[in-house]
Amino acid sequence: MWWLLRRIGVSLVLAWIVATIVFMTLHMVPGDPAEILLSTGGVAPDPAAVAELRERLGLEQPLMTQYGQFLLGLTRGDLGTSLVDEYPVLDEIALRLPRTLELIFAGTILAVIVAIPAGTWAALHRGGVFDRIASGTAAFLLAVPVFVVGTVLVLVFAQMLRIMPAGGYVPFAQNPGQHMTLLAMPAVAIAKGLAAVVFRMTRASVLDALSRDYVRTARAKGISPTRVLVRHVVRNALTPVLTVLGLHMGTLLGGTVLVEYVFNWPGMSTPLLRAVEARDYPMVVGIVLTISGLFLLINLIMDLLYAALDPRIRTA
Amino acid sequence: MTPTRRALLLAAGTVPFLRVPARAQASAGVLRFGLSAFPPNLQPWVSTGASAGTVKMLIHRRLISYDEKGELRGELATSWAHGDDGVWTFRLNPAAKFQNGEPVTAEDVKWNIEQIAGERSTAYMRTQLQAISRIETPDAHTVRLITREPVAPLPHWFAGYNMGIIWRKSEANNPIGAGPFRVTAQERGSSMELTAVPNHWQAGLPKVKGIKLTVYADENLRAAALQSGDVDMIEYVPWQSMDAVEADPRLSLDAVEGPFMDVVFNGARGPFTDARVRRAVAHAIKREDIVKAAFFGRGKALEGIPIIEGSPYYDAELAKGWAYDPARAKALLAEAGVPNGFQTTLLATAQYGMHKDTAEVVQQHLAAIGIQCELRLPDWSTRVSLGTRGQYEIAIHGTAAENNDPDGLSAFFDTSLSPSHGRSYMVQAPRTVEALAKGRAEFDPARRIEAYKEFQRAALEEVPMVCLAWRSQGYGFDQKVKGFVNLPGALTTSSGAMLEQTYFG
Repeated sequence: MWWLLRRIGVSLVLAWIVATIVFMTLHMVPGDPAEILLSTGGVAPDPAAVAELRERLGLEQPLMTQYGQFLLGLTRGDLGTSLVDEYPVLDEIALRLPRTLELIFAGTILAVIVAIPAGTWAALHRGGVFDRIASGTAAFLLAVPVFVVGTVLVLVFAQMLRIMPAGGYVPFAQNPGQHMTLLAMPAVAIAKGLAAVVFRMTRASVLDALSRDYVRTARAKGISPTRVLVRHVVRNALTPVLTVLGLHMGTLLGGTVLVEYVFNWPGMSTPLLRAVEARDYPMVVGIVLTISGLFLLINLIMDLLYAALDPRIRTA
Repeated sequence: MTPTRRALLLAAGTVPFLRVPARAQASAGVLRFGLSAFPPNLQPWVSTGASAGTVKMLIHRRLISYDEKGELRGELATSWAHGDDGVWTFRLNPAAKFQNGEPVTAEDVKWNIEQIAGERSTAYMRTQLQAISRIETPDAHTVRLITREPVAPLPHWFAGYNMGIIWRKSEANNPIGAGPFRVTAQERGSSMELTAVPNHWQAGLPKVKGIKLTVYADENLRAAALQSGDVDMIEYVPWQSMDAVEADPRLSLDAVEGPFMDVVFNGARGPFTDARVRRAVAHAIKREDIVKAAFFGRGKALEGIPIIEGSPYYDAELAKGWAYDPARAKALLAEAGVPNGFQTTLLATAQYGMHKDTAEVVQQHLAAIGIQCELRLPDWSTRVSLGTRGQYEIAIHGTAAENNDPDGLSAFFDTSLSPSHGRSYMVQAPRTVEALAKGRAEFDPARRIEAYKEFQRAALEEVPMVCLAWRSQGYGFDQKVKGFVNLPGALTTSSGAMLEQTYFG
């Protein structure tokens, strides 16, 4: 129990450090939110108006006062409001985080469904035609940047074949069919890199498992080949695959920026990008804090799971 | 199931049937419009860009707007005129009503001007309107504006998209306008729905039931959305897609040359304090290369002051005042005492392709006359900051004047105004500034034209900035969309107002 509390305590301290670093760096980067807002479109704003807006947004207060207010808000679970339109940061995150998570989960499921069977098949028929083609495809998919894949998908399916909309979003409740249609292309774009990684990992891992003594023993016992494959080979081979998958899903949380942009998927990346451009401090800090909070949470859960599985970690 | 040829054929056969549910649904009488950026906010008088301007012009009314030809057209005002004493009198349309049914009165207009020019205002027109010393309201529909000095282009001030007139008893966060549309739904950053106000006071407006604005920040996706029929209309057709939109029999392109690219200088220190060096820059750059590299040929060389052809202030000869002439540029450098050129830095931004591409072409041509520039390409916000603080040598900028009146160029050419990223930093151009002031105070059309010819001559010599290229700004729309006109010249950024008279034909 003590161990658990300490682990949670460490996570909270880490969250505070992340928040502080993000807050401070952002304020040190050149750029004035008031001036940028009033300069939209390249116009030359009146300096008096800029000064007045700075005053209203509380940007004239000393940095430490602003930092103090930010921390105070944080303890109450208040992330503040946007400097651009006074929209509450929490509302924005609550609206958009689920969509980014949906995209990541859809991409992950797609990648797993394709890559794990493919990886297993390739390993079982190592050096065969399928293995060569699939391995080549995986290398290709890893090499092609995600925005190229995205743009090509839009070009082919939206502009040439005209069977898909060019991008966008419709809430599931409003029109489930169209929601899934719109989800398809960005999910494929997200899945492409992940599928390649999972494919390679599965292939290597299955190859490794195939040469293990317990597989030989199982075969020697006369268990059917399918049962050996499913119960002994794949099951054991999947542990490292799941670890890699977990790690990559975390990275995707911050890596959906390009996909969301190319397909106009209104997730959390676009507001983050816009907020950085506009130096919308509360919005940037809020979103980054949410992403890092999720990272920490995933890590905490992983640690707890390991501890549950392996008592040695609890005493370490 | 094992994949067989038959299964694959079957699957391929079903593909065309997916088409119907996949299309974005068009609802009758609602125009689907692809925006380039979500309006940062909709505060009526605060400048937050052209996207916000489009929405603001549809939900509010200005005293004056522009017609299809770019001429002033009454909106809340039915007439406006100035007396010999320079006092402007506006007559309001007695039929004009705010969306809550209250009449638009002279008192409302007075209150709006006072708020905009107020001490604590963040309004775009704050400084200009502070030139109004007194506002008289002799009756409910007459407003008299007494200015400290005569202001000839004053009607244009009231036609800008940051000049919506709101009900004087509006709550601070809920401005009530008099426009034909109302914002009925929005998702921050993504989309906005405008719905026609029932029984709008201007007969026959608006012509559609509503407008659904969807943001497509990626320009290629925006073009794709138009081509695939997801939207009926888009703004800022990317230059590389203009050919395709023109070639598509279902689509139309309406493009005008209005915004322009330019070079601004730091006149506080360094070599560019010398007007001859600035003129050398003006003559050193081959504009056609910029049009090709940055705008895919969709633009026009700009070798003088940005006044559109056809304007009474346009002068064919002055328009070539900074013609490409590297020999002349070299001679000017020699005259300024730097015959072999020098090292310097060129500030632009990597965030916008057109700024970066323009910077690269400028860098090449300046190198040809011996000015070696190191490129600085931070993000736009940093670029703005560095510009305002004068932390650069020369910089690339892109903008559009507020309107087609030459006074609209003051914001860029009047270097006596306080520092801004959009104009040169502390460059001395006294004759230019004086000519601008003269034109502003002159009511007589002939003498006004002469004043602005003098402004052009002075600016060509004093070089408060160097203009590079007009860039094309286009709207793309389905053939069934009628009634929309991209306004000429600088007014293209105000074309969003035309959506109120757009209809399906």
